[in-house]
Amino acid sequence: MIDQHAPDDAPTCDRCGDAFPTADLLALHRGHAHDALSEDERAAFEAAREADTESLRLFRLQALGALVLLYFGFLMAYAVVT
Amino acid sequence: MRRARLLGRTAGLSGLLALSGTALAHGASLGGRDASAADVPTWLVLLTGGAVVGASFLLASFATDRAFVRALHEWRYPITLPRAPLAWLGRALGLAALAVVVVGGLLGPDDPTQNAAILFVWVGWWAGLVMVAYLAGDVWHTVDPARTVARALPDGRWTLPAGVGAWPSVAALLALVFVEVVSPLADDPTLLVAAVGGYLLLSLAGAAAVGADWFERVDPVARVFRTYGRVAPLRRTEDGLALCLPGAALVDATLSDGDVAFVIALLWGTTFDGLVATPGWADAAAPVLDAGVPARALYLGTLVAGFLAFYAAYRGAARATRRTAPTYAAAGAVARRFAASLLPIAAGYHLAHYLDYFLGLSPSLASAAVAPLSPEPLVLVVPGWFEVVALFAVLLGHVLAVAVAHAVAFDTFPGRMQAVRSQYPLTAVMVCYTVVSLWIVSQPSATPPGL
Repeated sequence: MIDQHAPDDAPTCDRCGDAFPTADLLALHRGHAHDALSEDERAAFEAAREADTESLRLFRLQALGALVLLYFGFLMAYAVVT
Repeated sequence: MRRARLLGRTAGLSGLLALSGTALAHGASLGGRDASAADVPTWLVLLTGGAVVGASFLLASFATDRAFVRALHEWRYPITLPRAPLAWLGRALGLAALAVVVVGGLLGPDDPTQNAAILFVWVGWWAGLVMVAYLAGDVWHTVDPARTVARALPDGRWTLPAGVGAWPSVAALLALVFVEVVSPLADDPTLLVAAVGGYLLLSLAGAAAVGADWFERVDPVARVFRTYGRVAPLRRTEDGLALCLPGAALVDATLSDGDVAFVIALLWGTTFDGLVATPGWADAAAPVLDAGVPARALYLGTLVAGFLAFYAAYRGAARATRRTAPTYAAAGAVARRFAASLLPIAAGYHLAHYLDYFLGLSPSLASAAVAPLSPEPLVLVVPGWFEVVALFAVLLGHVLAVAVAHAVAFDTFPGRMQAVRSQYPLTAVMVCYTVVSLWIVSQPSATPPGL
């Protein structure tokens, strides 16, 4: 665990005391860092991972768009300048 | 400036070499990597550099499989070396090199391009051995003659207070950069030998006072090499040595606050060394010097202010990470966790700064090793396209830094999207720094005013 500054009511891991800004992050932490999850914790972990994958998918699309823009932007900049 | 002076002079002297015309031109425009070879305007080079770093961050965000990221930085291949004989060899070489520096420095020619002390210290040690540190591993740990002699000394009488951490070496590193920039150590062999001797005595006194802690915590030189050595694709394991991917050892490096400041000081020190040799600095410094400010005060002030600005920018990025990720990890903890990822940048910048200098003067260095009292001023003419290698070294350093930061983020944060978001502030800082350092590398080198 690394040093933390967390509000008192933050979702906190009952095993190691780490606090997380969202319940989803806590669920992900439990799944990655600890063994012997209960039925509920396992379900929360799967759901959080699903949501994480979904937002990653969106981010990747945006990243791809940004890369394409960068690529063609520079292609044109080089074509005009040199 | 040092490299420009020394190489420029060597190039001038090497009139007998077939390609001396090119050598002279190259020596004169040593820092002049304005990419004119490719006819690309500087602003576009800088913009492209910044974009490459940003794009490598975007590309890294496609590697979100935890197992894959972990497998990359945990990959190792154990190798066995006859460590005891190699250690003895290294120590013997270190002592022999020290003897060459002292004898050749005092008794050899005064001309810096034909003096063994100047060639050994600046070309062999500060350019060459530092490159070995980040390309292969920290050899200085074994070679350092002060450490070899200190092994014969009894343990230290006192112990350093635990609270000071790595901070003494941060101050000492900044002091070293200051002395290197403002003093004629690069031109005056007698002064250089005196400095080497003084440093040796200081190290021995330090080792006698606090024991091995001197080299571990105070000595900035030992720490520079150790810190650079972490970038190398070779790491110590429980049972010897292992090959790993470059930068992999940085992912699980545990740093203290002082270590973080040292990494920043290393980065800023190299930048400052390049900055004061740009025409832009000469233009900016002239009115201040004309107003009567002593040159040394100006350089010291800039050195300290720049360090504080770099440190503040990095700490600011660490604080911003708490919001972007989001995470409750303390800003200091985030700063300690990610600082090692800045080291490939420092290494890339050092390589850009010194590779052509090292290659250009390596024949002189070899000649100094064979004949310490009368080295030949030989110079290898580095082709013009080699300037591109410098730009690539800077970029490669930044791209490696992005990859390390990515692996650290995945190691630290439970959410994958959280890990990607945690890198926004640091990536922004890295993009800005790429632009600044590429600008410095692309400038023709000028003599720093007032010194």
